[in-house]
Amino acid sequence: MKLKKPLSAILMTALSTVLLLSGCGGGSNGEDQQTETATASKGKVTIDFWTFWGSETRRPIIENIIDDFNKSQDRITVKHTYYPFGDIWTKELAAVAAGNPPDVIVNTIEATGQRADKNQNTNLSEFLKKEDIKGRFFPELWDTVLYKGEAYALPFTTDTRMMFYNKDHFKEAGLDPDKFPDTWAELEETAKKLDRKNGSVYTRIGYSPQYAGFDWGSIAMNFDKGTNFFDDTGKPVINDQAHLDAMNYVLDNANRIGQKNLDTFKASFGSKQANPFIAGQVSIWPDATTFYTQIRDFGQNLNFGIAPIPEISKDSGHYSVGGGFVLEIPKGAKHPQEAWEFMRYLTDKSAQKYWAEKNFDSVANQEAANDPELLKNEVYKAAVDNMAVTKVFPVPLNAPDFLNLINPQRDAAIMGKMSPKEALDKAQADVENLMKQNTK
Amino acid sequence: MALSVDKKRSGLQQRKEARQGWVFVSPWIIGFLAFTAGPLLFSLYASFTNYDITSRHDWIGTTNYRNMLFHDPLFWKSLWNTFYYVIFSVPLTTLGSLLLAVMLNRKIPGIKIYRTIFYLPSILSGVALYILWQMLLTPGTGLVNVVIGWFGVEGPAWLVDPAWTKPAIILMKLWSVGGGMLLYLASLQNVPEQLYEASEIDGAGVIRRFWHITLPMITPVLLFELITHMIGAFQIFQEGYVMSSDMNTPGSPMNSLLFFNLHMFTKAFKVFDMGYAMALAWFLFVVVIVLTIINMVLSKYWVHYEGGDNR
Repeated sequence: MKLKKPLSAILMTALSTVLLLSGCGGGSNGEDQQTETATASKGKVTIDFWTFWGSETRRPIIENIIDDFNKSQDRITVKHTYYPFGDIWTKELAAVAAGNPPDVIVNTIEATGQRADKNQNTNLSEFLKKEDIKGRFFPELWDTVLYKGEAYALPFTTDTRMMFYNKDHFKEAGLDPDKFPDTWAELEETAKKLDRKNGSVYTRIGYSPQYAGFDWGSIAMNFDKGTNFFDDTGKPVINDQAHLDAMNYVLDNANRIGQKNLDTFKASFGSKQANPFIAGQVSIWPDATTFYTQIRDFGQNLNFGIAPIPEISKDSGHYSVGGGFVLEIPKGAKHPQEAWEFMRYLTDKSAQKYWAEKNFDSVANQEAANDPELLKNEVYKAAVDNMAVTKVFPVPLNAPDFLNLINPQRDAAIMGKMSPKEALDKAQADVENLMKQNTK
Repeated sequence: MALSVDKKRSGLQQRKEARQGWVFVSPWIIGFLAFTAGPLLFSLYASFTNYDITSRHDWIGTTNYRNMLFHDPLFWKSLWNTFYYVIFSVPLTTLGSLLLAVMLNRKIPGIKIYRTIFYLPSILSGVALYILWQMLLTPGTGLVNVVIGWFGVEGPAWLVDPAWTKPAIILMKLWSVGGGMLLYLASLQNVPEQLYEASEIDGAGVIRRFWHITLPMITPVLLFELITHMIGAFQIFQEGYVMSSDMNTPGSPMNSLLFFNLHMFTKAFKVFDMGYAMALAWFLFVVVIVLTIINMVLSKYWVHYEGGDNR
């Protein structure tokens, strides 16, 4: 019991600080004046850039880019501030409320519109009017940063999910290692051939939708041809037929192998060298393409291939799901013009290429992503090609926490506590109810 | 005695001392007003608004409270989860730490080492501990189920099965009863030896001595522990956030670990619905304060203050 007192103390302090700061900050809404004084002082302007890139690999990379920017001109100095992933955005919220935010921050791409709605970030349309740079980004990513048709952030990185598969296992099972199943039905057939058992105990599982990074929610999106849980008008469509079919697909696989077997097997999964795909416990592993770096570092001898996510029927579309991060100017930042210049630099070709090359991240700049040097890597090329079918789903403004209502029903269906139909109907009703509370 | 000295002093000096007293305590009073009472009152006010820190702050009356009670299924779910946890964990950990304290309150060789060993787990804290327990509670290969297996019983799927997640957390909490044990141990050693001697001469056995001497003598500490413990238990948060089976859904599986504060956290920092989160906070505050008052009132009937005239 003693253990959580420090946490609650921190939480309470954080909450009360937020409250207090917001109380103080409420009165000073003079962003414009502040900007004027900043430019009036003529000297070099220092801007504060907040990231969560503090790891041994990422920190030197972003600091090199910042260094290059600082040397490239003599008016702006960028100061890098690192905050851990768990703290950065609550700190930012308090800073925005206090009227003293950083000038540029890295934030999630999905919730850009939500933050715009909440007045937490700065409208960029004025800068874009002078300098239209939206053409440098992948269109799907650009759409995500728009709120009421205007941009509130610049996309920086993205990711996409694909199917990694073990070519040796394919060969051993008499399958063509260069041909990955095209449809979900074929995938299940292939998976059956890849299973290995010792008596009644599984020693290898070909594929389970419950493993790795493309679960029922994503499969449902693929089944409904890229719509996901909300239709064009923003109406929830959680219990539609495609989503039900996807649930049945997950359950058919679970029934064939046995949910208990799946759980027991999953309990033995490790990481790094012991990652189930790298260790050969699972033959087909859907994951973000950056998973390649783990294979590179921990699975040198692994003979693997990469393929798009299957489709429901011929040419229905190999839809995948992605996310990513954006750069934005928090509301009330003191040097928006300088911040914009720095953001423009970060999303320009050279910085983006450097980031992609060093981190093996998918970047938002199309030209940088398609750099011939980078495309030499087979996995990297596949990832860039996959961007054409990758969807990024913005957080719905009047139900940002809707997954908390859907996922429990998903679990209930998978555990057999509810029929798939019941579960999805319940999720649909709950989300509709939530949205009703939030529309005022 | 103090009173008689005071009477001799002049009123002027008394006032001066009073003023100095206020000056000395003023940092705490100012701190309390600015950092505790201020935010507290503000949050009460904001719970009647749609406050989201950055974009709006409009009075919406009791809408938040009505939504909470009548339209939010996760409010009831999280409240139930939290009560479940409090109802089982508070008595169990109290009993556990008391039992441990009694066992360690002996004069046998090496007792200090034992005390240290049992106290050790309560210094460990935070995410590292939860990850350790996630490993221990792994259904197939975890140490807990392996040990249960020795007795021919198949252990449950602890953190995976929604029916067993809360018992798993309560079990984990029992592991670190050392903190409470230390307090009980201290109070056990304050029980005057002559009481035991007298009762022994009168022919009281071990159990009678414990029931009629030890227990009444430590009831003040018991009450203190019970209340602080209960308040702490209502604030459970991290466990649900970290030990969820699906990383993307804190409180999973099936929201069985969605505790009240976790729900509040999501509403405050994911949805930015601070007004609603504050309404949640006030609801919990009222629940805790009512239970604490009941505890204090009931304490008259079972807590024994030695020589204090029940002050």
